[in-house]
Amino acid sequence: MENSRRNASGRPKASGSDFEAEQENIQELGREVPVGSADYLAPKSLKKALEYRSRYGYKAVVIAGGTDIMVDYFERLSEVSSWLDLTKIQDLKEIKFGPEKIRLGSMVTHRKLATDSRIRENLPLLAESASEVGAWQIQSRGTLGGNIVTSSPAGDALAPLLAYQARFILGSVSGQREVAAEDFFTGPKENVMTQEELLIEVVIPTPREGTLSRWKKVGKRKAMIISSLTMALLLELDDKDEITAARAAYGAVAPRPIRATELEVYLTGRKLTEISAGKAGELAAQEISPITDIRGTVDFRCQVTRDITEQALLGFQQE
Amino acid sequence: MSKVKVAFTLNDQEISLLVQPGERLLDTIRDRLNLTGTKEGCGVGECGACTVMLDGQAVNSCLVLTAQVDGREVRTVEGLGGEEEVDKLQQAFIDHQAVQCGFCTPGMLMSARALLNDTSSPTREDIKTALDGNLCRCTGYKQIVEAVEAAAEAEGAD
Ligand SMILES: Cc1cc2nc3c(=O)[nH]c(=O)nc-3n(C[C@H](O)[C@H](O)[C@H](O)COP(=O)(O)OP(=O)(O)OC[C@H]3O[C@@H](n4cnc5c(N)ncnc54)[C@H](O)[C@@H]3O)c2cc1C
Ligand code: FES
Ligand code: FES
Repeated sequence: MENSRRNASGRPKASGSDFEAEQENIQELGREVPVGSADYLAPKSLKKALEYRSRYGYKAVVIAGGTDIMVDYFERLSEVSSWLDLTKIQDLKEIKFGPEKIRLGSMVTHRKLATDSRIRENLPLLAESASEVGAWQIQSRGTLGGNIVTSSPAGDALAPLLAYQARFILGSVSGQREVAAEDFFTGPKENVMTQEELLIEVVIPTPREGTLSRWKKVGKRKAMIISSLTMALLLELDDKDEITAARAAYGAVAPRPIRATELEVYLTGRKLTEISAGKAGELAAQEISPITDIRGTVDFRCQVTRDITEQALLGFQQE
Repeated sequence: MSKVKVAFTLNDQEISLLVQPGERLLDTIRDRLNLTGTKEGCGVGECGACTVMLDGQAVNSCLVLTAQVDGREVRTVEGLGGEEEVDKLQQAFIDHQAVQCGFCTPGMLMSARALLNDTSSPTREDIKTALDGNLCRCTGYKQIVEAVEAAAEAEGAD
């Protein structure tokens, strides 16, 4: 056998005679086109990408890190007649820190969010959630934009984005629009984006110094698990320890990521030390509308929501 | 459907080839280039048997389109170590009996190599985290983690 012969004669090389013969064959069969043909569009600029998007719409499948879409098309990749690959657009991979706002390109990977020291410092909810996405291989490829556009209620970045009051910049050939994270998701795997648009950027108001936050992901085991439940809790305090703003966001407990507004109202204006963590947990559990599925029953999700919310507040009080 | 011309560096060698637009890097590596060290387990990102390094980072080659690696650097298990000697990680896997059936081994090696290139003295926890995405049905992981620890020490000593 060719393979065993190869292995026996030392390290296998990618340029054996077979390979060259095969390559000649392909050149005869296929029309030689560079990356960027109609079947595979890989623009370097956002402008070009938006032009393609306008021309092809859903006919060209957008691919970022591929960790969702390649699974969706498992064993039927050949059905895709055209790809629009965002990999070569450098602008979408940038992170910009301003005094007022932090801007994250849609192609920033989970790995980048998990390891960048300024993200860890300024946006710990996002850094921590990214570090728990899938496993390293998934984090290296999976992007923030992909997580958002997939719009799975269990997407790990979504509760943190709600807690940070993120806004999404959607672009098309006719211009840009800005949508609040809360208004973007409309149902399980549904959002307000149209087939003309691409997600360009995520804009987050730079959190004030001394903001307290807690991220919690509950799943059946540590790695490689779709979340049963996620929580991103954030409190802004004044110098008298009074809560001036509270944002409590939950994922995988409703058809879309939600904020527990009753809980936020309860927390706002109170001193941290006066909060009843138990009551806060109850309020959170009342506000979610989970379903029973393979990752947990309604009762389980309500109980866990109550417990992790209570623990998070007790944790803040002890700090 | 027309083919896509892709050029990238594979195991330090520049290559250029024509692929289907929807072709997975895993299939290009195994079927077109006959580098069969990289394995296919699940095909959907769960098992890590197909792990290769892309620009130094561990990725699942079953979830990457070959056209996406145009202009980039790919390393497979065949590209570990030198022409004559094996990589320190490979030696440590042998020494610690971290291989039983061997199906997960190439993926384990690539994840571990990405870790060691990143962190010269990883903790046991770091190693476990780096290997979270690699399943092994035989060894129980203990020997694998020990092998990576040993390789990290051996490299630190150099
Ligand atoms: C084994 C495994 C484990 C996983 N674990 C987790 C986990 O723990 N937590 C979690 O949240 N997710 C998890 N995921 C899901 C996935 O990795 C994430 O959702 C990831 O962030 C998707 O990003 P991507 O770049 O890979 O998306 P892609 O697959 O490239 O794209 C996802 C979707 O978004 C569209 N899209 C992407 N970018 C844009 C853009 N800029 N504009 C418009 N449309 C766009 C694509 O067309 C596609 O429909 C896991 C996946 C796998 C395979
Ligand atoms: S074959 Fe790629 S992760 Fe299992
Ligand atoms: S050695 Fe058999 S799967 Fe790991």
